[in-house]
Amino acid sequence: MSNDLLRLQEIDKRFAGVHALKRVDFALRAGEIRCLVGENGSGKSTLIKIISGVVRANSGDILVEGERVPSPTAGEMIRRGVQVIYQDLSIFPNLTVAENVAMPRVAVSGRALIDWRSVKTIAHAAMARIDARIDPDAIVGDLPVGLQQMVAICRALTSDIKLLILDEPTASLTKVEIDHLLSVVYEMKQRGIAIIFITHKLDEVLKVADTVTGLRDGEIVGTFERSALDHDKLVEIITGKSVDQSRFELESGARKTLLEVRGLSKRNNFADVSFSLREGEIVGVAGVIGSGRTELAMALFGIAPAETGAIVVEGVERRIDSVQAAVAAGFACVPESRLSQGLALKRSVGDNVVVASIERCVGQFRLLNNQRRRSLVAEWIARLAIKARDPNVAVETLSGGNQQRVVIAKGLATRPKIFILDGPTVGVDIAAKSAIHQIVRSLAAEGAGVILISDEAPELVRNTNRILLMRGGRIRSEIVSSSLTPEQLQTLVEAA
Amino acid sequence: MKSLLNRNEFYLAILIAVLCAAIGSLNPHFFAPQNILAFLKTSSVNGILAVGVLFVLILGGTPDVSFTAIAQVAEYAVVLATLKWGGNVGIAFLMACAIGAALGAINGFLIHYFRVTTIIVTIATFNVYYGLLYVLTGGGVVFVVPTFFKKFGESLLFSSHDAAGGVYGVSLVTLLWFGALALGWFILRRTFLGRSILAMGGNEVAAERMGLRTVAIRLFVFSFVGLLSGVAAIAHTSIVLSAIPNSIVGKELEVIAAVVLGGASLFGGRGTILGAFLGVLLFAVLRNGLVLLNISSYWYDVTIGAAITIGVSFSAIQQLRARRAKVNVIVTEAA
Amino acid sequence: MNAPRRIAHGFADAPLVAILVAVVALMALANPGRFLSPGNLASLAYQLPMLALLSFGMMISMLTGGINLAIVSSANLTGIVTALALKALTGGDSASASMLFVLIAMAVGLLGALASGALMGFLIAYLEVPAILATLGVMTLIDGINVVLTRGYTLSDFPDALLAIGNGDVLGLPAPFILLVVVVALLAILIRQTRFGFDLYMVGSNLTAAQYSNINVRSVLMRQYMLSAFFSALTGFVMMGQFNSVKSNYAQSYLLVSVLACFLGGVDPFGGAGRLTGMALSVVILQVVSSGVNLLRVDPFFVTAMWGAMILALIAINHFVGQRARSRSAAAIMTNDKDIRLAAGGADKGKIEERR
Repeated sequence: MSNDLLRLQEIDKRFAGVHALKRVDFALRAGEIRCLVGENGSGKSTLIKIISGVVRANSGDILVEGERVPSPTAGEMIRRGVQVIYQDLSIFPNLTVAENVAMPRVAVSGRALIDWRSVKTIAHAAMARIDARIDPDAIVGDLPVGLQQMVAICRALTSDIKLLILDEPTASLTKVEIDHLLSVVYEMKQRGIAIIFITHKLDEVLKVADTVTGLRDGEIVGTFERSALDHDKLVEIITGKSVDQSRFELESGARKTLLEVRGLSKRNNFADVSFSLREGEIVGVAGVIGSGRTELAMALFGIAPAETGAIVVEGVERRIDSVQAAVAAGFACVPESRLSQGLALKRSVGDNVVVASIERCVGQFRLLNNQRRRSLVAEWIARLAIKARDPNVAVETLSGGNQQRVVIAKGLATRPKIFILDGPTVGVDIAAKSAIHQIVRSLAAEGAGVILISDEAPELVRNTNRILLMRGGRIRSEIVSSSLTPEQLQTLVEAA
Repeated sequence: MKSLLNRNEFYLAILIAVLCAAIGSLNPHFFAPQNILAFLKTSSVNGILAVGVLFVLILGGTPDVSFTAIAQVAEYAVVLATLKWGGNVGIAFLMACAIGAALGAINGFLIHYFRVTTIIVTIATFNVYYGLLYVLTGGGVVFVVPTFFKKFGESLLFSSHDAAGGVYGVSLVTLLWFGALALGWFILRRTFLGRSILAMGGNEVAAERMGLRTVAIRLFVFSFVGLLSGVAAIAHTSIVLSAIPNSIVGKELEVIAAVVLGGASLFGGRGTILGAFLGVLLFAVLRNGLVLLNISSYWYDVTIGAAITIGVSFSAIQQLRARRAKVNVIVTEAA
Repeated sequence: MNAPRRIAHGFADAPLVAILVAVVALMALANPGRFLSPGNLASLAYQLPMLALLSFGMMISMLTGGINLAIVSSANLTGIVTALALKALTGGDSASASMLFVLIAMAVGLLGALASGALMGFLIAYLEVPAILATLGVMTLIDGINVVLTRGYTLSDFPDALLAIGNGDVLGLPAPFILLVVVVALLAILIRQTRFGFDLYMVGSNLTAAQYSNINVRSVLMRQYMLSAFFSALTGFVMMGQFNSVKSNYAQSYLLVSVLACFLGGVDPFGGAGRLTGMALSVVILQVVSSGVNLLRVDPFFVTAMWGAMILALIAINHFVGQRARSRSAAAIMTNDKDIRLAAGGADKGKIEERR
């Protein structure tokens, strides 16, 4: 179509044995906000990389404003007005805000010497466009992640941009910043700039998109008008299956209190946190980025211990000043970042499962008993149905969902009473998500207490019996989950 | 414009001031212009090398350890060549820079192409360059060098006479050091190339995505180090008036330590010319102090070693504190 | 999806065996009659322990992505401290020292090395100083201490009991060689069969994850560097026996060769991988090359250049072999984009050394 801003025709891409994109057609008009949804491995990121020129397709054409781009390199696509704001932001943490923002323009100008005044001017202009109040001389690496993202966006605005691709942009923004971002996005739309918005938060898709393209297994499932979609339909597009509606139910009856937290505080992290956790409960912790939830988890697990307050486990006050102390007290934790905090990627599945409880395998003469180790590994692989051909395979070769099961198994092997899960299904395919939810529910059913920290309202609402709302480092309120809808929770979180 | 001194350079400057005061109070000759000019002159070699090391550290990662071998090779080659075919200071510099840049470029190419850490590649090239130097020259010491070296080494700017009738002044060698500092500052602060080096050091992936020519930049940095090593080699020859195969080699760790103490980070992206200058100055003052205080030369190495160890510990503690004090959450008041 | 990758890093044993055979053949051809003679093989067996002990000590430090630049300096320190202790205990006549005095002196020397290891461990584990800088500082410090202790002189004149470690033989086999075999066997047990060894590899693979996995990372790092220093101490004793003297700057070229040995033996400089069998083959290969080249009366500096060239060649080979493996496994590894952002955002305590 001649009024398409961007058109991909028959784009095909293979990576050493994986057919990432199978003769895909994709078109986008000026001023259109398109959301791209798909699981990991669906080809979503490959598509973006091809559009931005970072990766070259094996065959197929890219047309910008009707004109075929013969050599779509990164530099060329930038010249044509395609900009990507990556998840990792691609900012230079050691340079100032002004320099980061102005860098692309300076690079394009080809001048050998730096004119600092023009750097400042360019930066001010870009920041003014979205009313970003950031000190231009601040070192970007010292800023909180939300502001860093603003810097990245300002940077994209310094050139003549026709298509902006935002890759999971709201993952670490506060509500205010998200609103800001969206208003910027709408403003750009008015000016005829097309936006591709990639997000795994389905409620965001429903809020922002004009149209939605779904990808599955390297093929485009279809492009849909927003009005024809709802949450469940989106799930079906992405997974090909219908959504699991079951909820976690807490049976009535007397329950032992496993954990009591009283007045737990840590400067610049959280203040006066008090709550209790009983056997069999799954207590959710909701809140926006920067509310202190992960910091609380790290304090309970001994990674970044609290300064004042008490942690009482089964009636006994415990001093949690190290991970060893936390594990001894009965805590287990699935940390926020699976790849950088949860797993030793190049070690085997077995090693990763057994690492936190390796002491149980120590036998005579303080030597490891291989038999015991093997059976421990086999037990947990079976119990959690971890799909790995062989326990000696490197854990990095497993899928995201299976990797997460390994992290959970590691925690379970220490026989914890209290399990803290921080974003346990992030980056896990929707099908695998419900499997993990089942695991968590059975943990509770067996008598453990579970603390579930999550950004996904549907996950919280369906898998907890009550939810704590945190904001600004404090617990603001507590709600019962049973008749709560995800939308209601989302509103409460944003309003807290 | 914010003129807040980066904390590291600030502490270093204070430390140097304290040291100077301490040494000077024990031996006032420390403050004599002849003394200061003299130790500035002798530390020029390290100083010039330090500028190169700074660039490598900013680019990112582990340091280059082969620059002293490059300097040594350049020194030898130039001395032997000018002994045989004559020449002058200008030719000496040109030759040294060319050799240095070439050997540095080889480093850059290997590091980029094989994607291995700088330190391992340069440990290897260090030994190749140094070993081959010995093999080709037989390890012989050259005690007589062309007179233009002496002339250059003794040339002064702003000379004046002291009480005994001796002449002292700012040596051209010292000016060479300051020139290298100025050049380094100019590149890093005022050129796009310099900012690109900093950018690459901060986030190499982002630099590539932005279209910065990372290969060229890397090659430049390593060639530049080599070039500076060549300059340092001539400066060295002008001072010691000989070519001894292990006279420059062996200083690499001290120079690297000086630059790190000056605030350059091993992780890349951070470091200033001022810091590189102060780091070298610190070691120069220390050495001079030991001499003036008549401390046996056996204590030199321990002192330097202790200074390095304490210095890196201090930097690490500072960074640790900064990390721990980081505000993760803005805690708001209870409702 | 491709076949899952078993854990195999660097050079698996088969290529190393092939290289060993090739190298032996080469040296034998270059030195007909002399290389494979019993005399030469015996001297090989005497010289190997020094190189091997240092290389294993270096390997231990590289298992967590670190490096021990002070490995040779600590060995010299051990020798010097032992010699001085002997002198003090015997009032100057070291050669006549009793067995008891020898053992006491050795214990003191060992303590010296362990102290250096503890210092490095402390800097790296508790102050989070990067290993390169920490061991560089300690190396220069110890070199300086060595000079102060010896005033630049060479100390010698040791009792036979001590010399036996380096020079003696037990049942026809060189004493140092037996020491090496015993120590490496114990190291193998330590690494494969103890909690410490397991923890070490896990820390080396991902320090942050190790913390979350109930491993006391600081304690592991401390013990790691002290263990590495222990190997320096053993080397120091062997050196005393073989040189019958100690000096502040012996064996400095061995630092490079030990790094080379680790590389060749398959130790990943980023940590988390390294096999003893690979190391064993690697040090034997390097010793064979060294001895063979020695017989040829090659200029020792040419040998240095050769070691450097070997590292470069290894890097090149590793690169080309790795390239094929990398493109095959790139597709097999699923990535979680949020994790990349979090990892890049640096919210957690990351690895100490540079990563590419």
